[in-house]
Amino acid sequence: MKFNTVIIGGGLAGLVAGISLQKAGRSTAIISTGQNALHFFSGSFESIEEAPQRIIDLFAEAGVRLHYAPGVRLMPMGTFKKSTLSLEDISLLPEPKIGSKALIVSFSGYHDFFCSFLAEGLEKQGMSCRIKMLDLPELEKLEQSPSEMRSVQIARTMDRIWENVVREIRMLLRDEDTVILPQVFGLRDTSIPDRIRQGIPAQVIFTGTLPPSVPGIRTQLLLKRRYELLGGTYLMGDEATGAHVHEGSVHSIVTHNLGNHFLEAENFILATGAYFSKGLRSNPFQISEPIFGLDVEQAAERSDWYNPEFMREQPYMKYGVATDATLHALKDGEPIKNLYAIGSILGETHSEMGTGGGLAIRSALAVADQILKTSEE
Amino acid sequence: MKLQEYTSSSHNFEECMKCTVCTAYCPVLQVNPLYPGPKQAGPDGERLRLKDPFFFNYALKYCLNCKRCEVACPSGVKVADLIQAARIKYDNAPVKWRDRLLASTDFMGRLARPVAPIANAVTGLGVTKTMMDAMFKIDHRRTFPKYSPYSFEFWMGRHEKEQAAFSEQVAYFHGCYVNYNYPKLGKHLVKILNALGVGVQLLDKEKCCGIAMITNGMKTEATKHATHNVEVLSKAVDKGLMVLTTSSSCTLTLRDEYPSLLGVDNSGVRDFVMMATRYIYEKLEKGATLRFKPDYKKKVAYHTPCHMEKLGWGVFSEKLLRMIPGVEFTMLDSACCGIAGTYGFKRENYEASQAIGQPLFDQIKSVNPDVVACDCETCKWQIEMSTGYTVMNPISILAEAIEYEKEK
Amino acid sequence: MSNNEFDVIIIGGGITGAGTQRDCAMRGLRTLLIERSDIATGATGRNHGLLHSGARYAVNDPESAEECIKENMILRRIASHCVDETDGLFITLPEDDLAYQQTFVDACRKAGISAEVIDPELAKRLEPTVNPDLTGAVRVPDGSVDPFRLCAANMLDAKLHGGQVRLHTTVTGFIREGDTIHGVHTLNLNTGQERDFYASVVVNAGGIWGHDIAALAGVNISMFPAKGALLVFAHRVNNMVINRCRKPANADILVPGDTVCIIGTTSTRIPFEECDSVSVTPEEVTLLVTEGAKMTPALSSTRILRAYAGVRPLVSADDDPSGRNISRGIVCLDHEERDGLKGFITITGGKLMTYRLMAEIATDAVCRKLAVDKRCETATTPLPGSGERSYEEVARKIWEKPSTAQKAAAARLGSNASRIRTRNRLDEALICECEEVSMGEVKDAIEHLEATTLTDLRRRTRIGMGTCQGEFCACRAASLLANAHGCVEREREDLKGFLQERWKGNFPIGWGDTLREAEYTQWVYKHVLGV
Repeated sequence: MKFNTVIIGGGLAGLVAGISLQKAGRSTAIISTGQNALHFFSGSFESIEEAPQRIIDLFAEAGVRLHYAPGVRLMPMGTFKKSTLSLEDISLLPEPKIGSKALIVSFSGYHDFFCSFLAEGLEKQGMSCRIKMLDLPELEKLEQSPSEMRSVQIARTMDRIWENVVREIRMLLRDEDTVILPQVFGLRDTSIPDRIRQGIPAQVIFTGTLPPSVPGIRTQLLLKRRYELLGGTYLMGDEATGAHVHEGSVHSIVTHNLGNHFLEAENFILATGAYFSKGLRSNPFQISEPIFGLDVEQAAERSDWYNPEFMREQPYMKYGVATDATLHALKDGEPIKNLYAIGSILGETHSEMGTGGGLAIRSALAVADQILKTSEE
Repeated sequence: MKLQEYTSSSHNFEECMKCTVCTAYCPVLQVNPLYPGPKQAGPDGERLRLKDPFFFNYALKYCLNCKRCEVACPSGVKVADLIQAARIKYDNAPVKWRDRLLASTDFMGRLARPVAPIANAVTGLGVTKTMMDAMFKIDHRRTFPKYSPYSFEFWMGRHEKEQAAFSEQVAYFHGCYVNYNYPKLGKHLVKILNALGVGVQLLDKEKCCGIAMITNGMKTEATKHATHNVEVLSKAVDKGLMVLTTSSSCTLTLRDEYPSLLGVDNSGVRDFVMMATRYIYEKLEKGATLRFKPDYKKKVAYHTPCHMEKLGWGVFSEKLLRMIPGVEFTMLDSACCGIAGTYGFKRENYEASQAIGQPLFDQIKSVNPDVVACDCETCKWQIEMSTGYTVMNPISILAEAIEYEKEK
Repeated sequence: MSNNEFDVIIIGGGITGAGTQRDCAMRGLRTLLIERSDIATGATGRNHGLLHSGARYAVNDPESAEECIKENMILRRIASHCVDETDGLFITLPEDDLAYQQTFVDACRKAGISAEVIDPELAKRLEPTVNPDLTGAVRVPDGSVDPFRLCAANMLDAKLHGGQVRLHTTVTGFIREGDTIHGVHTLNLNTGQERDFYASVVVNAGGIWGHDIAALAGVNISMFPAKGALLVFAHRVNNMVINRCRKPANADILVPGDTVCIIGTTSTRIPFEECDSVSVTPEEVTLLVTEGAKMTPALSSTRILRAYAGVRPLVSADDDPSGRNISRGIVCLDHEERDGLKGFITITGGKLMTYRLMAEIATDAVCRKLAVDKRCETATTPLPGSGERSYEEVARKIWEKPSTAQKAAAARLGSNASRIRTRNRLDEALICECEEVSMGEVKDAIEHLEATTLTDLRRRTRIGMGTCQGEFCACRAASLLANAHGCVEREREDLKGFLQERWKGNFPIGWGDTLREAEYTQWVYKHVLGV
């Protein structure tokens, strides 16, 4: 099969690149080994400092509403973290204070939302908090299975019964000016968080839960749907296992499912992520890139890969595939002409592009622009 | 030295990062609180089972083996294989008569075919349905697939010579459905292949691929079938033939389940077994042509069956359908229809089965296509029964859309 | 009686201390156990968890071998829920001298250890993961024992006999009058509370830290800290204990324990200052994997879960720098006889296997001082939880259709699992998914087993010991703990400490899936949860 561009990796970076290219009329395929890091998405894109209309528009066309307001957001453990660009359900606050009285609402038997930590964190900021665990008959079925009371399963039920929750909260609400809820709303129906906000006469703050992330899954679904609507080919659950490279450019990709049916293209984008997603592999001796055998910037001694303090920055997380200034991937020090690396496989080798979601989007757009420019020429 | 250069475990369960993404995509978990979910049943449970088979949980039987967990797993863990392998290894509960009946698709087919009109009438009767429900716990709300009065093998026997006349040849693993229920699909494939200048021959007596036996815990029978089928596939491969299929579930079973679940070595034939859609696409890609009817018009919505999703070959069906000039194509969100082979036929699963499929049924209704395309016969029954829309194999749609003179 | 007076105070919540408290309590003494951290934090919880048959010592240390096999048989009877009767193999590899096998078997028999020479082919059938090139095999009654459970069961039984336990409490000094010890000054490290406790006898059961405790009392014990490093593999690769049939050396024991297996060990002399901060070096990791793979080749491609090290409390007897040949024999010092200090006893040396015997010796010494004449019954009285022969029976007795988590609880708690039966359905929610620990079991550990921190919970329930190393369960369990003790602030620190402790065991083997998991854990806790 032939495409203009084959993208390896179907996470945030791969989808942003794919959508941008499809929109410009290029035929693309995305190879995705299973689901991706969007499933653990915090809801905020890291390290995007400038107001990014282009990004907001790209997501809006997919039905994902973002908002940009530099400030902080409330974290599940009751701390605050700097944030700028976020999904609309994430409340961005100008300062680490959200009101004077908060009602924190969760569900009996649900262990992936940490009310007491939230309350303690907010009390430190001078707020007073009340925790209320709702007993909903609709959740009883989930309770029968010990592994069912997780964010996604609850979100499925909430898609149906969110109005009951709003009603319960309205009855519970005394003089609180803020209601804090877990992010288990709007898995399929994106309008639910907004409608909950309208239905409760107080400021509503949706706060993260243990993964999988409900807004993350929704974002993945909408971006993928948009990509496919634009005509993109999303090969779900397939894995790139090798590549044919001749004279410094990639000719085709071999995948596990397609076997000897190779995927040919003019451009290739490597967006396979870091360690978790297996974009980078490691053994006791080295960190490597498995598909092309690209150069990976790393410390030679394994003992230098780590900081013994868990909470400190870890050196291994900075390592990534070596690229030139235009994100062409390097092999044996030489750039491969039609292969680009984007997203977290870059580690912190391009620190000007940031980390996490910011890096994924920025590098994806930069490479899409380049591909469009070169094929124009 | 190979010291820790790679790590491996059976069905690579140690690569599980406990991220729980699989549980978000498991169709059973959404509707059946008795099922522990793919993560618990698969990699988590495996560690405990390795400690002591006592930790085997009989609720694993609720797994549909749809493999959506494997497709979703970011770590590539063979979650469903782990679960099915555990069932094969540890589940000693005797197989129920009902399950035997449902799993023995070719036996039932042979039995029913000569008396097809009666069989169809009888299985369609309210009283029979009630009886089957009561005796075998086969849900009375189910519509049974109709049996054909003649088998595909019989039809092929009559066209053997004509097919042999083509210089290029392929073999066809038609499966029980084409043979006993719907020979038309086989005929559609023959038409397309003939149009491409390719003749079709049968294998030297294929048996049911055995997928229903695997999911119903009939390991011995399934292994017998697998061994036999690998043998007849080898004969075809030795003759230099590709073996084409039209059912995604049979294909997955022949290629992947035989070695991984039954321990039957198919390495000599695996790469020669291929969905017909892929074979045809590749032919066309290499320059072969088909003549399409100029006035053909159809709004087609494609549903990716679970096992097609796992095979990763839905793309070939999609591209073929998009190639037909008059087709307006919509890709449905990939989700399980709920039938999962024999699963949905069992009374205890009926409600769950329908609930699993609901989002798909809703989407189909909102797209409102002329026809739903899908490469799996059991999905076809489920979708037709639940939505009223006609479901066709992409091969049938393609056959309908092309012009071929020699058609008889 | 005031509530700070006892007959005997035992310092140290390792297996020796817990065993001594149980024995003293069973003999009718009023006991208090003080532990600065948690049960089984020292050498007790940092070894293979091998239920020695004694075979390993048979050639070089027949006395230890005899003690081991006796205690081995006793533990099978009194602690069935802590013991896994796997049996063990002593295998000879092509590089080993097969002639040693006969010496070994003779010595075993002399010590009363059944040692059956079996055909290598049979060995391969019994334990399919064993190196197929083996040239000889001997079957011995080795097994595995869970030191945390054993320690908890002893502590629990002591409590049932009226004993008191103070964990996370450190001894800051001794209450001394002239040449007599009357008690201890303590500080509770969780709450900051200072308290004095009085007793006629104080037993120092501090393991390697017994050296410091003795120093605090003004006496000197010459101890010899020897570090031993071990690796935990992510699943139970082997089902029988596998040993090398040769003179004891590095990394020649592979023990299946619960859902994992453990290879060890090494032996390196370390200075006393390092006892609290031992870590595993890259060289030790390489040695352990390489040597381990010789016994079971699958280890070279099995995910490693963590690396850890313990410090053996050996009492020095000669100048051997490795510590390997130093006597592991039991040392009981009556400081009145030795140093003229009354009311103070040190019990040390020995090993996990002989803890009960050590406790008996120490308790005998205590009783002599207190003129109590009651016989030791610990060898014949089952520990709480160990009523049934197998956890299958336990589970089936308690629950009609036990769930996986209930089966796992029965395996961990023995018949005490009945404590979590009557809980409501919400208590069946899983907190730890890898090891199947329910909320009910966590609550039980908090209420009945004195768990006040996440690490305490881990030792009692296996929370955070599974493949994800606490990634998902740590924060869930932290919430439960915070609700139980009411101090979220403290729990926040505890959670950080727990993650740090897990990381400490992960980074020495930080590659492959372990590194993937670490990256994910970092992401979840730093970026998603905001710890």
